[in-house]
Amino acid sequence: MKKSILLASALFAGMFAGSSAQAAGRDYISIVGSSTVYPFSTVVAEQFGKTTNFKTPKIESTGTGGGFKLFCGGVGVEYPDISNASRAIKKSEFDTCQANGVKDIVEVKIGYDGIVFANSKKSAPLKLTRKDIFLALAKNVPDPKGGDKLVPNPYKTWKDIDPALPNEKIEVLGPPPTSGTRDAFVELTMETGATTFPFIHDMEKKDKNLFKATTQTIREDGAYIEAGENDNLIVQKLEANPHAVGIFGFSFLDQNADMIQGSIIENESPTFDNIASGKYPVSRPLFFYVKKAHVDVIPGIKEYLGEFTSEKAWGSEGYLADKGMIPMDKKERDLFAKQAKELKTLTMK
Amino acid sequence: MDQPEKNPTIDKVNRGLKRRYRAERRFRILGATAILTALCFLFLLFFSIVSSGYKAFEKTFIQIEVFFDPAEFTNENLAAANFPGLIKASMNSMFPEVTSRKDKKDLYYLISPGASFQLMKQVKNNPALIGQKELIWVAANDDVDMLLKGNIDRTRPESERRISDKQLGWLDTLAHDGKIKKTFNTAFFTSGDSREPELAGIWGATCGSFYTLLITLSLSFPIGVAAAVYLEEFAPKNRWTDIIEVNINNLAAVPSIVYGLLGLAVFINFFGMPRSTPLVGGLVLTLMTLPIIIIASRASLKSVPPSIREAALGIGASKMQMVAHHVLPLALPGMLTGTIIGMAHALGETAPLLMVGMVAFIVDIPHGFTDPATVLPVQIYLWADSPERAFVAKTSAAIMVLLAFLFLMNAAAVLLRKRFEIKW
Amino acid sequence: MSGKEEILSEVTTKALHKERETVGSPFVENPRMTCREVNVYYGDKKAINNVNIDIARNEVIAMIGPSGCGKSTFLRCLNRMNDTIEGCRVTGDLRLDGMDIHDKNVDVVPLRARVGMVFQKPNPFPKSIFDNVAYGPKIHGLAQNKAELDEIVERSLKKAGLWDEVKDRLTQPGTGLSGGQQQRLCIARAIAVSPEVILMDEPCSALDPIATARIEELIAELRQHYSIVIVTHSMQQAARVSQRTAYFHLGDLIEVGMTDRVFTNPRHQLTEDYITGRFG
Ligand SMILES: Nc1ncnc2c1ncn2[C@@H]1O[C@H](COP(=O)(O)OP(=O)(O)OP(=O)(O)O)[C@@H](O)[C@H]1O
Ligand SMILES: [Mg+2]
Repeated sequence: MKKSILLASALFAGMFAGSSAQAAGRDYISIVGSSTVYPFSTVVAEQFGKTTNFKTPKIESTGTGGGFKLFCGGVGVEYPDISNASRAIKKSEFDTCQANGVKDIVEVKIGYDGIVFANSKKSAPLKLTRKDIFLALAKNVPDPKGGDKLVPNPYKTWKDIDPALPNEKIEVLGPPPTSGTRDAFVELTMETGATTFPFIHDMEKKDKNLFKATTQTIREDGAYIEAGENDNLIVQKLEANPHAVGIFGFSFLDQNADMIQGSIIENESPTFDNIASGKYPVSRPLFFYVKKAHVDVIPGIKEYLGEFTSEKAWGSEGYLADKGMIPMDKKERDLFAKQAKELKTLTMK
Repeated sequence: MDQPEKNPTIDKVNRGLKRRYRAERRFRILGATAILTALCFLFLLFFSIVSSGYKAFEKTFIQIEVFFDPAEFTNENLAAANFPGLIKASMNSMFPEVTSRKDKKDLYYLISPGASFQLMKQVKNNPALIGQKELIWVAANDDVDMLLKGNIDRTRPESERRISDKQLGWLDTLAHDGKIKKTFNTAFFTSGDSREPELAGIWGATCGSFYTLLITLSLSFPIGVAAAVYLEEFAPKNRWTDIIEVNINNLAAVPSIVYGLLGLAVFINFFGMPRSTPLVGGLVLTLMTLPIIIIASRASLKSVPPSIREAALGIGASKMQMVAHHVLPLALPGMLTGTIIGMAHALGETAPLLMVGMVAFIVDIPHGFTDPATVLPVQIYLWADSPERAFVAKTSAAIMVLLAFLFLMNAAAVLLRKRFEIKW
Repeated sequence: MSGKEEILSEVTTKALHKERETVGSPFVENPRMTCREVNVYYGDKKAINNVNIDIARNEVIAMIGPSGCGKSTFLRCLNRMNDTIEGCRVTGDLRLDGMDIHDKNVDVVPLRARVGMVFQKPNPFPKSIFDNVAYGPKIHGLAQNKAELDEIVERSLKKAGLWDEVKDRLTQPGTGLSGGQQQRLCIARAIAVSPEVILMDEPCSALDPIATARIEELIAELRQHYSIVIVTHSMQQAARVSQRTAYFHLGDLIEVGMTDRVFTNPRHQLTEDYITGRFG
């Protein structure tokens, strides 16, 4: 009895001694942020941990917004050093950072991610335009009978939208609103698709809110199915249902090329080269942000930046490309590598 | 009694007898069907997990002949040597006919990126290797592994598989020369997480689970039992204790993510404990399991017969002595069972850990309560979400390991109960 | 107890709330315990109504009465076991050797060491026979060492008439004994702490005639050292073992007197009805 009490108190003492020691300093890099960047930054982190004497960075997949929330919480070991993002930092997030004393931030763009539309190989590949996608998925669309009027989406099959498309029910599996992929998809396809209608295009200047609502609201009548954050699940569902179309990141298409095929968008198929060259229209840049104040406090941040921005990592032949990240061109890479090296502080007006 | 030859009661009884037995039979059939259905689903679950996971317990290796070129080891730091270069050189010497840049890249692709770390470790352990030529088995890339396990169909058109025709040819040559083997995947049990499926293992997550559960157990068992004993034996029965009781019962049903939010607010933001550590995770799971343990402990305290309490009190034992000497030993098996069920619950939990940062990519094996760590179910969740196809099998294999742990814990519950149960 | 004493203490106490009076001789000289105006409530329900009685030294007093009349309830007042019952409230004045035992500040632990109890259903601890008997002496620190403890256990078991049956298996569980043996074990456990009063609540209700006879013998022996209060439903048993008998009816103490007198010449109609079996 006494012994066990002694043991328990020793354990406790140890725990708290440990935790206070930890509070005094952290010897590993803490990274948070986008789930899209996660598969890439984890590869770099692993490589970094194995080839240097630093500890392997810890990476949490919190989503871009969640990552900035933690990142901008303040300066100190309890806050992350780096935040991954599948979009550039917003002004509001930047301001929060400043308000919490996170003054100097270094922005590093790392490459691109293609967003693909794909269906099972058991069906024919789809040839779509962004306008088709807007018409298929928006909650309200321009009246098919003509006129500058919005009506609730009447389209039931792809053929209703364009006679050249198959006579199949519209059934799209995609990410939920919390996901960065969804944001990017809405911005890159829905919005662009919508602005092919002149009156919606004009709307942007006249009524920003209406424009946003029109271009960003996805129909809720069952044609768009929120399939959760797990892209593997979407792939499996596509395999089971040849009529459905899925929306996800390029790396999942890359890994499952035997089961699914990417839809051709505006005459470009989602291949590595097409995305890299910018021909394939639906792709977005990926970033990470570094807290400058931590650079000399937490060991290894500079070296991690060095690893990430090295040609063997993010180069066109680098290991990140093997994992499905679309590299930037050489000029851009050199620019951002230089900025990372100099720790160039981000400014925002 | 008056008419011994004719008893009207027994006639009535006999008339109803058939119906009564029918009802019993019906109920038995229903019960057996329910069990059978449940077993079928269980079997289906196990079958799907095992059938997709058993392959992960094997791993493909390729034999290469490495020349530890002394020219590469001029630097003091052995780790700085160009190990990938050594591997490339040995691949080149095996397939001298491969010359174009693209083909070479495809050729090197067959070997896992982890192979260079393996060489590094070997040289570190045995610097005498430098200058030698060695035959070494190194891990094959996950796509090669998948191909050899039959998960990649070589009859498909080249564009649809991740192994090209040329790579198939090289692999066939290697196989023909006996340079490919499949062995038990020890790395799966001894290494931490990795983004390369062939290198990824569950040891890191297992350690994380261990430390986390250790914290949970060492806090929730004493606190839970003490709380239950106090509430059941000492606390006055009034409105306050009623409110507490209702609250505890409610807490047991609160979605576990709420405990994560609470842990984030209290342990991390207020007490400033380190994120992503077993310390915080254990505390959060303690909060989650406490109500379960308290409820189970109270139930088993309640089931201790009052005659034992009376006997102890009647002889002049104080309340504390009555509880410690008589009630607790009798209630202990039930408390232990409750605790282990709570622990099993905690072992399988991911949602609350998400909030305290334990859903993270962590490669290094944790060595203490304040090292960043993840736990088994989180590892499963992370792998299930990975694009690489080879992680599908890993996911199922990790589920099998988790199930094995759960099974062990529940078996321990049964054993402990048998061991401590006091017969009367 | 002599006839003279009975006449001396023969008074009639008036119940405060009811006209019913206790007839006979509830009071004795030099009592071990005194109970005055004892009322017991379970919540709002009154279970014992203004009972006055003394318990003499070295006597066996039997409490009889129909089921539910409050015998067990009253018995439990004598060592404050009613404290453990939710919603049970006791008022009045209870003394052991002149010391107020009902006072809130009185420590029940030493009280229960002085007033032991044997319950209706045998309730040995699920421990060895030895540990059952040794438990009381251990917690009260009555033995300096193992030898003394052994001695106490042996003496208690001998007094309870169980020694010969169990001396070879002291380490076996007490719950493995027969019902009668268990009850004697419980008695041995109670007397191991050398109480001054032993309360027995229907100790023989689950026993066969032989075991009952054993326990009755035991009670007769124990009277040499202790005062014994026994609740029983067996008139014969009361007549055999007790010197005085108290008859309870619906929470009232109806009649108290020397046992032979109560059984041969009951003064109260209710008592007579009960012991002649006409009751109800
Ligand atoms: N815990 C309790 N809560 C409420 N009422 C009780 C409780 N225990 C006893 N009573 C009530 O008090 C009265 C006296 O009960 P008690 O057990 O003292 O009777 P008894 O004379 O011992 O009966 P028996 O001969 O059947 O043992 C009964 O009416 C009973 O219903
Ligand atoms: Mg009774």
